[in-house]
Amino acid sequence: MDSEEDMLDANDVESLDDDFYSSGDTAVDSDDADADFEFIDNDSDDSQYTALHRHQQNYTILNEEDIRHRQEEDITRIATVLSISKVATSMLLRYYNWSVSKVHDEWFADEEKVRRAVGLLESPVVHFPNAREVTCGICFETYPCDRLHAAACGHRFCNSCWAGYMSIAINDGPGCLMLRCPDPSCGAAVGQDMINELASGEDKKKYSRYFLRSYIEDNRKTKWCAAPGCDYAVNFIVGSESYDVICHCSYSFCWNCTEEAHRPVDCGTVGKWILKNSAESENINWILANSKPCPKCKRPIEKNQGCMHITCTPPCKFEFCWLCLGVWSEHGERTGGFYACNHYEPAKQEGVSRQKALADLQQMQNVNVSNSPLEKLSDKQCQPESQLKFITEAWLQIVECWRVLKWTYAYGYYLPEHEHAKRQFFELHQCAEKELQIYLNAEGPSMDFNEFRTKLAGLTSVTHNYFENLVRALENGLSDVDSNGACGRTASSKSLGGNSKVRGGRGKGSTSKSSGSSRNLDDSGHWSCEHCTFSNVKSASVCQMGWLQHCDPQNTTLNFLTKSLPGTVDQWQGKYKIK
Amino acid sequence: GFAGENKMSTPARKRLMRDFKRLQQDPPAGISGAPQDNNIMLWNAVIFGPDDTPWDGGTFKLTLQFSEDYPNKPPSVRFVSRMFHPNINRCYTSTKSYLLEVQAPPLDAIVNLGIFVVSKYAVASEKVYADGSICLDILQNQWSPIYDVAAILTSIQSLLCDPNPNSPANSEAARMFSENKREYNRRVREIVEQSWTAD
Repeated sequence: MDSEEDMLDANDVESLDDDFYSSGDTAVDSDDADADFEFIDNDSDDSQYTALHRHQQNYTILNEEDIRHRQEEDITRIATVLSISKVATSMLLRYYNWSVSKVHDEWFADEEKVRRAVGLLESPVVHFPNAREVTCGICFETYPCDRLHAAACGHRFCNSCWAGYMSIAINDGPGCLMLRCPDPSCGAAVGQDMINELASGEDKKKYSRYFLRSYIEDNRKTKWCAAPGCDYAVNFIVGSESYDVICHCSYSFCWNCTEEAHRPVDCGTVGKWILKNSAESENINWILANSKPCPKCKRPIEKNQGCMHITCTPPCKFEFCWLCLGVWSEHGERTGGFYACNHYEPAKQEGVSRQKALADLQQMQNVNVSNSPLEKLSDKQCQPESQLKFITEAWLQIVECWRVLKWTYAYGYYLPEHEHAKRQFFELHQCAEKELQIYLNAEGPSMDFNEFRTKLAGLTSVTHNYFENLVRALENGLSDVDSNGACGRTASSKSLGGNSKVRGGRGKGSTSKSSGSSRNLDDSGHWSCEHCTFSNVKSASVCQMGWLQHCDPQNTTLNFLTKSLPGTVDQWQGKYKIK
Repeated sequence: GFAGENKMSTPARKRLMRDFKRLQQDPPAGISGAPQDNNIMLWNAVIFGPDDTPWDGGTFKLTLQFSEDYPNKPPSVRFVSRMFHPNINRCYTSTKSYLLEVQAPPLDAIVNLGIFVVSKYAVASEKVYADGSICLDILQNQWSPIYDVAAILTSIQSLLCDPNPNSPANSEAARMFSENKREYNRRVREIVEQSWTAD
């Protein structure tokens, strides 16, 4: 065990230090710590989302400087202990995925075996007599001695052949880090020292880049931040319960599967869900590209031969022209016969305009986000921007709710708690978006802006609580849910995302969560749902019309969400950066 | 001489000239090859079936396509003659794609396209493209710049009698080789005879 402790690498040392300082005589009460953070946050301009501080810090963010430093540290330490060159050490570490303890164990177990595997020869394999001129093993030209080089094995090749060999390897990718002697019978390693001596400037830089990246990519304890364009890496203490990490760039993701944070759904389900959706979208793209919908029943039809007269399959049996999708009875010699159609051109225009409409919609969705609403509001209401943090936080909460709701869809069932959380969320969203518009469009500062602030901040907080409870309930495997309530996991995993009309929650669900909405019973002992006015029996704790009907009877929830939130989740996250 | 003499200076071309010279001066038994008239990057070669084997008497034609990365990258080698061997692909192409009807539609399709029937269908697509190419390790991941044309052709020749069961390009041949050697040899003799008459 002692040697184990000695061989902790740079990534481990830090966490040890943390433990040392945090577990001491001064037992830090977590509530106090939270209170401290909250206190600091309210004063400073840092709009760090306070709730996130409640999670244990089980990861560190590294920038390029940190990475280089740690890599250098590990190499130096091992090189000293094993008494080998730094270049040899880096080959060794790379081979064992930068695990200092693995290198240590393997080396002292069987040095010979390790040397053979990694290609660290102690002495040359071939000896050449000291001839003035030597033949290169690749191009078979002869050169004076000093124009050839060899790795530790002694196989000599001319400098230009080495340069070419290295260039090809480097341009093939990070495999160049394990480059070996060109001789197929020889496994001698070719390290960075030889690269720096023989490769071109461009190639040397690329090699160096791969070398640095390898410390993150091949290392089991670290991963790059999943945000596109972000250069930070995350060092994670495996074994902690939650995999959610937040990078300095404000992107939050699941370290385990590198998808965006998906609490409370587990990584396996997330993977399947994404696969299913991407497979579907490929199918959809193919169908759009290679088929047309029947004008009557809309089923996609693929035409693979013959003339333009199409008859849809039973029960539809509609006959139409493939080119213009018009009814076939109007076609004949006048319209161009069986293989052409002069109605086609105008119809094509319509297709074009549909594309344009789609493009316009996209653009419109983007426009909302490009102007900074906060700046505008700050001007209009004569409030400093730092006082408008509550709006940012409201939106952050909305984004978080959106994400949780999105992922609970993967389960495909319905919880009683869900109902109230959702209502809360919609109320929050309503306030944050619609009411905010009023103040944005106002002519001058409004008296009741402070009231608005109180309301929104309050809503944010209440919504946050509801969602925390929801998430916790799901993470605990629904042990909190009444047996008459949700369908349960086994049923839902079969219909992964399939059934949009989810059933459940008819039982005597926890009425405790229905605080805030008092049931006004009418004469017959029924109460009327405030969303859909459905008349429910007294014993029903939630409206029997179900979750989906309440958002908008015509649409599904996701439709609602994607339409109502201007822009996309990513755009909003980017907009309201956590400093 | 070859057209475009000024192109002689690339390392790939210089090396190919040297390979050609070596083949002419010191030819290994049972193989032969030469660049095409005006293109040193494309070679024709012949491999003779090893003596005293079912391959005996066969004259199998191949092409070798080199790139400017030679010798750091291997050439693409493919048989022109019809072959029957576990590690040599047949020469044919076929593409097929069709719609299948599946179960429940996913929500995303509904939301994104407003076509709720679309995702009842799934597309299956099958594309098989085989071109007489060879599954030989030195031609893929075990390549070394030390190998030359002679080495390549010699390795392929020894592959004929010594298939590698781990990478079956021709599953029918692979199966027959392990389960029904007599039928396998009969098929080999068939393509040996065909190699005499083919152009």
